[in-house]
Amino acid sequence: MELIGDEKRIRALFSEVRLADEQMMPSFVGVWNRAQSKTTRPHRVFNLSFVAATALLVCALVSLAWWTSRWPRSQERIATVPPITNGGPQNVGQLPVKAVVGFTPVPRPHNSERSRALKLAARRQAVLIAANKKAARDAKAIESWQSPTAKLLDSSSDGLLKSLPQLNQTVEELKSFLPSQPK
Amino acid sequence: MDIAELKAELETLHSASFGWALHCCRRDRAEAEEVLQTVYLKILEGKACFRGEASLKTWLFAVIRKTAIGEHRKNILRKLRWSDSSEATKTSVSPLEQPSEAFEKSETQALFQNALKSLPRRQREALHLVFYQGLSLSEAAEVMGISIGSTRQHYDRGKKRLRESLGQTESAYGIDWRRKENPGAV
Repeated sequence: MELIGDEKRIRALFSEVRLADEQMMPSFVGVWNRAQSKTTRPHRVFNLSFVAATALLVCALVSLAWWTSRWPRSQERIATVPPITNGGPQNVGQLPVKAVVGFTPVPRPHNSERSRALKLAARRQAVLIAANKKAARDAKAIESWQSPTAKLLDSSSDGLLKSLPQLNQTVEELKSFLPSQPK
Repeated sequence: MDIAELKAELETLHSASFGWALHCCRRDRAEAEEVLQTVYLKILEGKACFRGEASLKTWLFAVIRKTAIGEHRKNILRKLRWSDSSEATKTSVSPLEQPSEAFEKSETQALFQNALKSLPRRQREALHLVFYQGLSLSEAAEVMGISIGSTRQHYDRGKKRLRESLGQTESAYGIDWRRKENPGAV
């Protein structure tokens, strides 16, 4: 019984609260209209961050376009670059790089890939040219090389040893080749 | 349900919605109004969409509850961010103690509000939904987003604690209580 009485009390207190709340309740129309005005409010036309982002994008596109227009020319220049010469007489790298390396330009899928491939090809060319030059220099050096002990092998009978007898020579003539015997 | 129809339904529920919003905002009128406006805005923008899975009242109350919790979190963060917020809170009076409201000055109501305030949030919500809004326990469970068993537990515990805290001061306010129940007595 007491429990029911308590519940009644609580209910009565809550209904009092409800009455007080109703007195300070804002009108539905007012709240609804304010909410509606927020939804129909036009979006800000000028957005600073949007403008900055657009400007940045335009700059990037322009620079990309400029760079791509300049790119083929610079690529040609790299492809026909004459080999680096040291100015010495043994220099063999006289042919243009294209002929030496057999460089054929690769079809370009993307700008970055293209530039990377070209850089790699140019580096390979330079390495090959250097290797060719070194090989030519070595060949020249071996051709004129003489042993330092070659003088020790010289003797008085070098002429005899180095000359060969002919087939139709007479015995007398051949005797001249023989060492003289004491009589 | 089209928007005109929904508007008419919301208008009939406006009083109850405001009471619930007020409860969710710890009886801060301005905040409750703001929450209610945000809820209507959500409905208008289609962010909160009624699909008829529950009754409109329980759905609306659930939206109000979630919005109020979100707004409360935002307010806390805002206060933490602003260094001068401490000064503002010092000068501002708690919504429960606003002197302007004659109603709040009533000793019985003040006692009741304090007793309610001392309860955990779920228990307070269950009591409000049942006693103030006249919802059933299953409807209250839908609004609170918990099972009916848990809602019953919160409701029973809340009622018990409220009775206890009101009973503790009954000696001081007993006359008042009895006057309400039986105005002829005492």
